[in-house]
Amino acid sequence: MKKSLFVFAGLAAILAAGAAHAADKVTLQLKWVADAQFAGYYVAKDKGFYKDENLDVTIKPGGPDIAPEQVLVGGGADVVVDWMPAALAAREKGAEMVNIAQPFKRSGLELTCRADTGIKTPQDLKGHTLGVWFAGNEYPFLNWMAKLGFKTDGSPGGVKVIKQNFNVDPLIQKQADCISTMTYNEYWQVIDAGYKPSQLVVFNYTDEGVSTLEDGLYVMQDKLKDPAFVDKMARFVRASMKGWDYARAHPAEAVKIVLDNDSTGAQTEHHQTQMMAEINKLTAGSDGRLDLAAYQQTVKELLSSGGSDPVISKEPVGAYTTVVTDKAFGKK
Amino acid sequence: MTSGRLANLLPPIAFGLAVLAVWEAGVRLLHVPAIILPPPSAIAMRLAASVPTLAADFNQTIRGVLAGYAIGSLAGFVIAVLIDRSQFLQRGLMPIGNLVSALPIVGIAPIMVMWFGFDWQSKAAVVVVMTFFPMLVNAVAGLSSAGAMERDLMKTYGADYWQTLLALRLPVAMPFIFNALKINTTLAMIGAIVAEFFGTPIVGMGFRISTEVGRLQIDMVWATIVVAAITGSLFYALVAGVERRVTFWHPSYRAKEA
Repeated sequence: MKKSLFVFAGLAAILAAGAAHAADKVTLQLKWVADAQFAGYYVAKDKGFYKDENLDVTIKPGGPDIAPEQVLVGGGADVVVDWMPAALAAREKGAEMVNIAQPFKRSGLELTCRADTGIKTPQDLKGHTLGVWFAGNEYPFLNWMAKLGFKTDGSPGGVKVIKQNFNVDPLIQKQADCISTMTYNEYWQVIDAGYKPSQLVVFNYTDEGVSTLEDGLYVMQDKLKDPAFVDKMARFVRASMKGWDYARAHPAEAVKIVLDNDSTGAQTEHHQTQMMAEINKLTAGSDGRLDLAAYQQTVKELLSSGGSDPVISKEPVGAYTTVVTDKAFGKK
Repeated sequence: MTSGRLANLLPPIAFGLAVLAVWEAGVRLLHVPAIILPPPSAIAMRLAASVPTLAADFNQTIRGVLAGYAIGSLAGFVIAVLIDRSQFLQRGLMPIGNLVSALPIVGIAPIMVMWFGFDWQSKAAVVVVMTFFPMLVNAVAGLSSAGAMERDLMKTYGADYWQTLLALRLPVAMPFIFNALKINTTLAMIGAIVAEFFGTPIVGMGFRISTEVGRLQIDMVWATIVVAAITGSLFYALVAGVERRVTFWHPSYRAKEA
């Protein structure tokens, strides 16, 4: 009896010691599939930046119709990558998600039109058929249309909207005159499909003054009450931003890391190299901290979107926090 | 007879109300977030507040449902009659019909959208593919179900192929054909709604479900589900009612009268 007690105590001691050294688990839900849009996180994992911060990170790729907000609220992830309009809209519906970091400084959203439709300026969009993604990606578009004064319900004097899948077929098949594209992804798919840039007219949301903040990191509000969680997230953000810095400095290596992590095998090096170059333009200059002026700009855009179905109806309170980035990088 | 009918309706109604009560109480007591599962009261309120939207969605989807249902069932029936005349066609077309029915909707829907555009026509095309085979199989089975004695009787009257078909074999095939028509009501609803996930103008029940899920407005998703369920049930009941009129002679109806 005494012998087994000693063995038991010994085992318990070893287990306890083991637990003390075990890395903190973090589950990250991406907004889309594993591609260079999330290179920073994959680089941080493969180059050991997370391990250096004593983190064991599981990266869950997203996909069509996977809403990161739902995964977060459902408890499927500790932290998600999401676009701010969708996160603020979800917050207003009762999903208390909070922005803890903003790796993407710039927006990559654009509307790409065929030049043969005769569209030259945004005002020319009236009466045309436009392809829009949904699943949380429609808010910047609805906002822009409200600003231009175009109704989207198909009534005369407005624009006709179709729900575009995550491909560029409607433009190629001439079922839509314009489609939504990202500077880093779908635009290049159109080029790869044989269109020359001279055959396309591109409206960049940033140039039109209607851009909103895109890929940011969000967590559930109640988890931030736990100081251990805040510390874990601070380490996660610090290592992730190191990953983004590395991706900007070594894009070719970052592409290889992303391709290694693509379990579907659907990504090609050609496409990912283009994507990495464009993504690096969007993260350049960001240290991970949320730029409050940019946040206010996004909120203003969404509040003024008006119409019968505003993206958000009132000023969000507590939608972002600096505690994580303050802990990670020190107070600004 | 009315009291019997009422007595038949009472258990399902009571059971349904009990389920709704448990749902409402459970969600409230366990503080389930509305974005995971809203209570029936919230769904009812959302339904009442969104009647124009839901009506427009219903309008859009039902066009695909009815057009596809009519074309698919008719095509299945016509091919069944052709097969009936020719053994060669039967051996050739049945396996193809089998193959077509096995195609997954999530595979053919995007292709139909590419071929027929984003509007209801592509949804009707998907429904045609889904409803063709059940009708084909059932109609072929029905057409061969006339008894040998009855067919011989027609021969003794000097009836030709078409007279036999219209007077004997079609009426006898009706229970089978209506079986397929009832199955096809469900398949048509499913086909049209799921096909709308893959490209639509921004109206339609499938569109509503997929976008409201993305916007975390789950009560609207459930409201659309309620509309779809009611539509499907009414559609099925309509076909079942017509079946009752047409196949009144069938033994399955006799038992209920007793």
